[in-house]
Amino acid sequence: MKTPATASQIRRTIIEMANRSKSPHVGSCLSCADILATLYCRTLRLDPWPERDIFILSKGHAAMALYSALHTFGILSDQDIEGYYRDNGTLPAHLDRSPEKGIEVSAGSLGHGFNMGMGIAYGFNKQGNGRKVYALIGDGETQEGSIWEGALFAPKLGLGNFTAIIDHNNLQGYGRPTEICAFEPMKEKWEAFGWHALEVDGHDHRELTSALDEDAHGKPKVVIARTTKGKGVSFMEDQLIWHYYVVTDEHKAAALKELA
Amino acid sequence: MRNAFINTILDACAGRDDIFIISGDAGLGVFDTFKDRHPDRFLNLGAAEQNMIGFAAGLAITGYKVVLYNIIPFVLYRCYEQVRNDICYQDLPVILAGIGSGVTYAPQGMTHYSIEDLALARTMPNLEVFSPIDPVEARLAAKYALSARAPVYVRLAKRGEPDIHRQQDLDITKPQVLAEGEAVALLCHGSIGEEAMRAVQILHDAGIRPRVLSVPMVQPLNRQALAEALQGIGAVLTVEEHYRSCGFGAAMGEFLRESGLTCSLTTLGVPSRFIHEIHDTAGMRRLFGIDAVSIAAKVKQLL
Repeated sequence: MKTPATASQIRRTIIEMANRSKSPHVGSCLSCADILATLYCRTLRLDPWPERDIFILSKGHAAMALYSALHTFGILSDQDIEGYYRDNGTLPAHLDRSPEKGIEVSAGSLGHGFNMGMGIAYGFNKQGNGRKVYALIGDGETQEGSIWEGALFAPKLGLGNFTAIIDHNNLQGYGRPTEICAFEPMKEKWEAFGWHALEVDGHDHRELTSALDEDAHGKPKVVIARTTKGKGVSFMEDQLIWHYYVVTDEHKAAALKELA
Repeated sequence: MRNAFINTILDACAGRDDIFIISGDAGLGVFDTFKDRHPDRFLNLGAAEQNMIGFAAGLAITGYKVVLYNIIPFVLYRCYEQVRNDICYQDLPVILAGIGSGVTYAPQGMTHYSIEDLALARTMPNLEVFSPIDPVEARLAAKYALSARAPVYVRLAKRGEPDIHRQQDLDITKPQVLAEGEAVALLCHGSIGEEAMRAVQILHDAGIRPRVLSVPMVQPLNRQALAEALQGIGAVLTVEEHYRSCGFGAAMGEFLRESGLTCSLTTLGVPSRFIHEIHDTAGMRRLFGIDAVSIAAKVKQLL
């Protein structure tokens, strides 16, 4: 499947899940749909499954996006998706580790998956198996101290097989990060810590693919993906409320029309 | 106790290539031999405890048996949520070796005392919790932890503690009888055992013979073995170097309520307050009534 079609499919599934469950974070999920589509279509080596590359959704509140991507690739079933966020269900709103389903670590509290991903990448390096690890973190998540503790260590550990992707949509739970706790200049900060840092349009699949493929010469890599929260649904784009608002039947119909 | 634990890990490395030790910038000199023999299986991740725990969880996912070494506040307090979510929630077989139990670091100050760690550890399902009483139990806890499929927290004192057990081959998951006796059972957990055994000597000199047990594993409690060990006992006295309200004594209270045993329970430990007094370890134990003389006096009261 081509990446634009995959991204659209992921977005449609997100909208349907959010509507059925009345759970929040739809904006956070739509924000990273292109990143997930690119990773699963172009970047991650998933076959053979036991030797697969590892993708970690460190911003675990965007679980619907991961579930949708895994469903699009046949790793999660229709039943898995239908049982999301319901009584006697199948999938929680934040990630509960289930490696056989591609849910590689438990995540939901911010600032955890990134560090676990570094540990996994270090283990793979020790084992010399060539496997790579990708961790998607939110821009708000980079306010967590654990992110910077890990950022300090990754270059020393020679984590050339580790890539962090920052979903930089400039909207967190209660405002704009630039107003709450400014990150900028992001690229220069990560470079100063010894990372191979790139900035891309996080909705441009060619730019994402190129950045993810770029040789980091043995350094850990960070891809700062400039994104729009709620991307793909006009009335959700760059609107803080869609961190929490639930998707009504009317919202769903309008959103799916745009995503057709 | 610390060296007995670490040397057991080191010895195991001779036959295993999956053991990996991580320090959080603690243990100067402790790992010199290990680093010489296995430089590729040791990392000092610095004063960054959140990263240390998350990283260890990730490394464990790739199949390594990770041993984390640090003083207790940096194994459980600073990084509680990482231990909860990354290690225990995911049920990863990481060994958390915490040094400086109770007030064994006195008079370093309150920030370096570990008198609430059992309370924290007991909130985490999957986590198996040990407080060895002496170097013998520390070795056995290390062996157990190395073969465990669950995460294990081992609460260690520091170094120089005497051997209390004469026998080396014990089942660390069970209460250990240190002295036979009747009517009163003195149960000790962890680094306070040395004081308890001095109390026993005082009592023996006075012709009083309580049953004395070390209970090294506090989570999960071996309920059947405990019930058997307390047969015929009328009064239980627990002693611990921890807040009395939420540690070993509290765990024993839960056990006794649910067990159907009719013995009374008295707990000795640190009162629930911050410590501003400046004493060495012996002085702290006297202050809180968990020194040998106080323990012996309490046993006499219970007769």
